[in-house]
Amino acid sequence: MGGKRAAKNKQPTAVADEAAVVCLPADCRLAAQAALKAQLQQVLQHGDIVIDAQALERIDTAALQLLVLFRRELEHNGGALAWRGTNEVLHEAAALLGLEQSLNLPTATSA
Amino acid sequence: MGAVDLTQFHKTFFEESLEGLDAMEAALLALDSGSTDHELVHTIFRAAHSIKGGAATFGFAEVAAFTHVAESLLEEVRSERRGVDGELIDLLLRSVDCLRAMLDHTSHGLPAADADSEALRGELVRLVSGEAAPAPAATTAAAASVDGWAIRFVALPHLLQTGNDPLRLFRELQQLGRLDVCRAFVVDAAPTQLAELDPGQCWLGWELRLHGAVARAEVAAVFDWVEGDCELAIEPIAPAASAAPVAPVAVAPPVAAPAASAPRPVRETAAASSEGSSIRVGIDKVDALINMMGELVITQSMLSDIGEHFHPSQLERLREGLLQLERNTRELQESVMRIRMLPIGSVFNRFPRLVRDLERKLGKQVKLELHGEHTELDKTVLEKIGDPLVHLVRNAIDHGLESPEQRRAAGKNETGTLRLDAYHEGGNIVVQISDDGAGLNRAAIVAKAEQRGLIRPGQEVDDAEVAELIFQPGFSTAAQATDLSGRGVGMDVVRRNVRDLGGSVGVRSQSGKGSVFTIALPLTLAIIDGLVTAVGEERYIVPLISIVESLRLRPEMVRKIAGGGEVFHFRNEYLPIMRLHRAFGCNAAITEIERGIVVVVEEEGRRVGLLVDDLLGQQQAVVKSLEAHYQRVQGISGATILSDGSVALIVDVCGVVRLGQRSKAA
Repeated sequence: MGGKRAAKNKQPTAVADEAAVVCLPADCRLAAQAALKAQLQQVLQHGDIVIDAQALERIDTAALQLLVLFRRELEHNGGALAWRGTNEVLHEAAALLGLEQSLNLPTATSA
Repeated sequence: MGAVDLTQFHKTFFEESLEGLDAMEAALLALDSGSTDHELVHTIFRAAHSIKGGAATFGFAEVAAFTHVAESLLEEVRSERRGVDGELIDLLLRSVDCLRAMLDHTSHGLPAADADSEALRGELVRLVSGEAAPAPAATTAAAASVDGWAIRFVALPHLLQTGNDPLRLFRELQQLGRLDVCRAFVVDAAPTQLAELDPGQCWLGWELRLHGAVARAEVAAVFDWVEGDCELAIEPIAPAASAAPVAPVAVAPPVAAPAASAPRPVRETAAASSEGSSIRVGIDKVDALINMMGELVITQSMLSDIGEHFHPSQLERLREGLLQLERNTRELQESVMRIRMLPIGSVFNRFPRLVRDLERKLGKQVKLELHGEHTELDKTVLEKIGDPLVHLVRNAIDHGLESPEQRRAAGKNETGTLRLDAYHEGGNIVVQISDDGAGLNRAAIVAKAEQRGLIRPGQEVDDAEVAELIFQPGFSTAAQATDLSGRGVGMDVVRRNVRDLGGSVGVRSQSGKGSVFTIALPLTLAIIDGLVTAVGEERYIVPLISIVESLRLRPEMVRKIAGGGEVFHFRNEYLPIMRLHRAFGCNAAITEIERGIVVVVEEEGRRVGLLVDDLLGQQQAVVKSLEAHYQRVQGISGATILSDGSVALIVDVCGVVRLGQRSKAA
């Protein structure tokens, strides 16, 4: 919202040699998404991005939408999105909304 | 899992659902007794429908599934595709019981469904629609694809801000049948740059297929709350079409199961924290309270105004103000107390069902009459009076009313009448349970009492004493044993429960005409009218309700009896004197009987004179529990704070009488 861009003072959570990693917070619902969006925006030009969902406990439609739109723009820029530590919560929500493919989620391991 | 934490609403859901079940039960019983009012069916249907909706919203899948089948059955009744008969009502009544148990389990974080509920659900399913259709209810969704619905659902950008999350909607749809997402898409209007995206806005749309024999209205009901926040189209799909391969992004079926069970950990934590009860208050009562508060504030500001620039000439105005303050306070107190008052009808309402069940079990015919359901009673009293009443009603039907043959032989109507009355009398609420049965069996009671050693063989007993006998501990109902006895509650327990509430219970009986049990209860447990008495340096409050008379004794009225007891002559009888200062160990009290005052109190027909130093006046006392702050003390029922700020103990007359007997026996 403010004039200053959050990108100036924050670095991506962890930067590996090739792919930047963005971790999803435990409660990834509406309240958490301004911060998540800022993080994602920073790594848009980074090429390949890994999203780490290990800590995730709760997620809502808005978050999944944010990730879908992120992937769309990322691929437009020539990057690719990969996942790490995906869990039941993520798979369940994505499957219910039919967004697994749009998110490039790996196939769910059985519950 | 929307942005709103739903667990905070669980308690309300359980309360409302239980109320709904009560309404269902009452309506079912009304239908059973021959009423043809169509509105009753609607009432039952609505109750089932809202329980289902709530259960689905909160993720209580088993409750939702069960209610769903019951609702389908009710829908058939409502649309007059199915007639109402005794069998159906029986089944539905059992469903109500089952749902109660399921809700109870759920609220304690236990799995709701068990073998019984599954069996009952099976019965319901078999009945629905004649066809042995597999349950349209979600979780058993092995479902051969019968008809279903193609749903196109496109969120408008502000959908999420209304607190609705498509995730929740889809979960609800899953409760109805097997849900496939054929296509999920981002609408064209969505921002292409992440920078322009407001995460609170929704730019997604879906094409869904819901498989199962589900009514359109049920599908539409899921989207009820998002009407106007989305574009929605619901079209039927032909059986052939639904078999067609679907989906570039079809949902893998195994995922459906975790979807239903995922919310479970949440509800367990919620159940643990949802102890403590709440109360529903009519808005008129709250308004009255606010009015009263307004008056109090006006009076207060008037008084502080006077106090600011006080001049002796304003004394009259000051007095007026204080008087007004007193009036306001009293009214406020009454209004506050009224908030705790609930109609006794909520307890009475369980009796039609009980009577119906007992009728069947015992082969008797009973007409139940309820009067005074609107009489209001303190919530605490109300909650505790239920069990004693149930016992009395059960007793009346089991032992009081005769079988139709016996009644015919006695020249009475084959159908016995059981009447429940509630009304105000003085500062009390009186509840009467009367039947027109055989009355107490005097001979059997006397024989039993002799056998138990409660009376001497051959001892003369009058009717009142016979009636009193049945309340004695150890006077088991075993003599009149039926399959209903042996439930572990005897009349002595009834009396004890009623007495714990500060009430009394008695019985009048007429052979061949019936019996009347009368329970008198205080309006509230929180405030009593009391007489403030002085004993030495202490103040004791004697509940006004038990006081017969206060008098000063002359020495010649007092007799010493063997064993150190003292009695005095009072209206043709001798009453024991109970010295309060001795009972409670007070210092500096008056010990000469003729200098003190004797307060004659009565409890359960037994009278005792309490010796105190002086009477200080009458006062309403707000009862504070002694147990909560200290510990239980024999002979004391609580404490209160007097106008000067000191603490006074409230005499438990019953306990003191017992204390007196014990010291006499010792």
